[in-house]
Amino acid sequence: MTGIDNTPAIEVSGLSFRYPGADRDSLTGVDLRIERGDFTAVVGGNGSGKTTLCKTFNGLVPHYWSGTFDGAVRVMGHDTRDLSVGALSHLVGYVYQDFGNQLVRPTARDEVSFAPVNFGLADHRERTEEALELLGVTHLADRFTWQLSGGQQHLVALAAIMALRPDVVVVDEPVAELDPAHADGIYEALADLNARLGTTVVVIEHHAEYVARHARSVVLMADGAPVWHLPAREAMERVAELERHGIPAPQVVRATRSLAPWAPVPLTVEEAAGHLREHFSDPGGGPGPLPPAAPPGTADSPGPRRPSGEPVAEMVGVRHGYREVGGGLAVVLHELDLTLRDGERVALVGGNGAGKSTLMRLFTGLKVPREGTVRVGGTDTRTVRPAALADRVCYLYQRPEQMFLKDNVREDVAMFPRGRGRSDTDALVADVLDRVDLTGLADRDGRLLSGGQQRRATLAIGLAMRPALLLLDEPTSSLDTASRDAVIAMLDALADTIRCTVVATHDMHLVAEWAHRVLVLDHGRIIADTTPAALFADQALMASVGLVAPQITRLGLSLGLNPPPLSVGEMLDRHQTTGRIRA
Amino acid sequence: MRKERDGISVEWVKLELLRTAYATRGGLLAARDPRFVIGWYLIFAVVPWFTHNITVLAALFTVCAAAVFLSRVGPLVLGLFVIGFVLESLYVLFAAWLFGGDMSTVLALVVLTLKLATISLASMAAFVSLDPEKLSDGLLSMHAPAMLSFGVSYGYRMLPVLMEEFHTVVDGHRLRSAPLAAKGFLGWRVVVRTATTLVQAFYPLMLNTAKRTRTTVEALETKGFTYAAEHPDGRRIRLAHLRADHRDVLLIAVTLLLVAASFALGHAYPLQAGVG
Repeated sequence: MTGIDNTPAIEVSGLSFRYPGADRDSLTGVDLRIERGDFTAVVGGNGSGKTTLCKTFNGLVPHYWSGTFDGAVRVMGHDTRDLSVGALSHLVGYVYQDFGNQLVRPTARDEVSFAPVNFGLADHRERTEEALELLGVTHLADRFTWQLSGGQQHLVALAAIMALRPDVVVVDEPVAELDPAHADGIYEALADLNARLGTTVVVIEHHAEYVARHARSVVLMADGAPVWHLPAREAMERVAELERHGIPAPQVVRATRSLAPWAPVPLTVEEAAGHLREHFSDPGGGPGPLPPAAPPGTADSPGPRRPSGEPVAEMVGVRHGYREVGGGLAVVLHELDLTLRDGERVALVGGNGAGKSTLMRLFTGLKVPREGTVRVGGTDTRTVRPAALADRVCYLYQRPEQMFLKDNVREDVAMFPRGRGRSDTDALVADVLDRVDLTGLADRDGRLLSGGQQRRATLAIGLAMRPALLLLDEPTSSLDTASRDAVIAMLDALADTIRCTVVATHDMHLVAEWAHRVLVLDHGRIIADTTPAALFADQALMASVGLVAPQITRLGLSLGLNPPPLSVGEMLDRHQTTGRIRA
Repeated sequence: MRKERDGISVEWVKLELLRTAYATRGGLLAARDPRFVIGWYLIFAVVPWFTHNITVLAALFTVCAAAVFLSRVGPLVLGLFVIGFVLESLYVLFAAWLFGGDMSTVLALVVLTLKLATISLASMAAFVSLDPEKLSDGLLSMHAPAMLSFGVSYGYRMLPVLMEEFHTVVDGHRLRSAPLAAKGFLGWRVVVRTATTLVQAFYPLMLNTAKRTRTTVEALETKGFTYAAEHPDGRRIRLAHLRADHRDVLLIAVTLLLVAASFALGHAYPLQAGVG
């Protein structure tokens, strides 16, 4: 196609764009050059224009979204205005944040072959097989796309765009909708495409950790224009600037900056451990400055805390499963015994399909177990209707839009207390909305709010139900870091109204910062009932259920800290304490 | 005491719909070329209208009933059909009695019922045997508009997602709306509540769907859907895999033979219903 070798993959010059009807430019004066074969991360806060910028690469802007378009975008030397969206998709592939909606055909193979067949390419069969092979999803080819897990769907969406053999691949927030293990899988697949085929990869990403590990260059976007475009390591050195734009630096960067400011910025846990070891364990012949020490404040018992509070809910010998399309019974929970007590903050962790959601749903009474007993506050869930249990148990779905039944947030929050005839409904709703800081947005439809606001709105719905037991399914998934921290802070503040909170999550930061008790679910059995620190220290267990501890915890472990630190603050505190002791 | 049931429950209805839509049970017609299956269906959709002979109609009905059996139609669809059929027959008898009709009125109505029942059986047998891809390719090859054939396959693709979402929303209503104080006479309050919930559940469902289709429409553009509408190559490639063999021809031949036999039978032993 383009013979000249130094043509950049993407060249943007003087680009401004305004959506029709908008009162300000979404992109303004953008100049950007992405070299061929680069692995670029586009970072920036919400509304900084990241997604709009990336949609100019495949021509959706301005061909599909017509607006005021000035300047030029060249992809592999072609001006995007001269080519149709269809022609551009041979140059640039785009995977959406909500990639599930990008899959339009029933089976995976059909999905992958859809574009090559539409374009009438004679070698569509080879392309399809090649793309399936490339992403390692050949074994899924004949499955229906709705049967696939989120991670598998993402790989199929990626395979479908690779079938056109594009030179550039754009992936919008792969981590947002996926659990960490699958997100790692996607990044490895992208790195592989980049290394093997020389495909230029552009990712839109909130999580600096993934940026540091995989990207070679970083574009920081703010107010519709790039602030800078730098090599990854230089970008990570600008900790304060990233933080200002809502991108907290990776934990290892923050820890290393504080403990060894003279060391180069580490991009991975291994690098950080290397720097810290080098700078600490060298002189004096001492045992090293970071000996194992108990974290201040927490109890030093490594096992679970002794049960203390009143039981809020329990499961005895519970076995449950569901029928499959083929007619077989898929057993999800086996012989499960569990007691949830007053004052507990429980995190439920485990891979996809481990039974987390099923376990939580059994507490709501929407389902009753096939065998065994589920009791909530002493009441067998079989003896009452779910509506009666709703006075005591509240379950918040993973996808907030499933909680919005009315056309504005206030009505949704008021629905339960009003239905139960509470006289103080209005006051309660006002109070709850105030607590989640949504009073100003209460008359909007929940679906039109941002991800973080939606999550807070569902929390408000839950709070207005005044449950004894609050169950949350992945409350921090698909949130940017700032919204995630806001949700964690809000969960912290719930302690006074909710007796027991259970969170099913893949987010190990949430586990580390919020939970007191962790239940590890694997293939329908609880294989560990422990504390976050003890869980993270048990590397064999973590690996067997596919969990990855927060960076700072892994860093602590590789420096020999046991129990490992759960936050950057704790690591620094412990270092200071031990430092003082040695001095 | 509540119990987890595998029998008639919302969960079972969902599974049955999926089994029906995705032709998971296999059967006689499932292995055939979709164009011939659609052709087979058209025979039975058209032929009953050419006769008033009850013997012929009964014979056609029997053939279609056999086809339904051989196509392994699931209990949900079949059950709904039987309920409809029985109610319809009762209604016929009742209407004839009410309007003071005699046997000839009943027979005239039976003719119509038999015709509709035969066509329903044929459509069950045919569409239970066509999975989304086969159906959309079959339609495309018969020069249906590309939008229709895509719409069919996309509808199938969304069916499980929408069913799941609808169930979730209804569950949300069950948990969060005001509990009923009393069931009312014959449980009429429960019926009214269920009906209003089902209607109200459509609001969030529609909005959520509208949100997700934005991505879908953009993705279709990048996957060359509009390009394919203007260039015939894609259609040719997509349909290249459709190949009829002698068994497909045999299917149509046997069907035509059975239809002819039905008419012969009707000619030999006619049971006419006036001028219908």
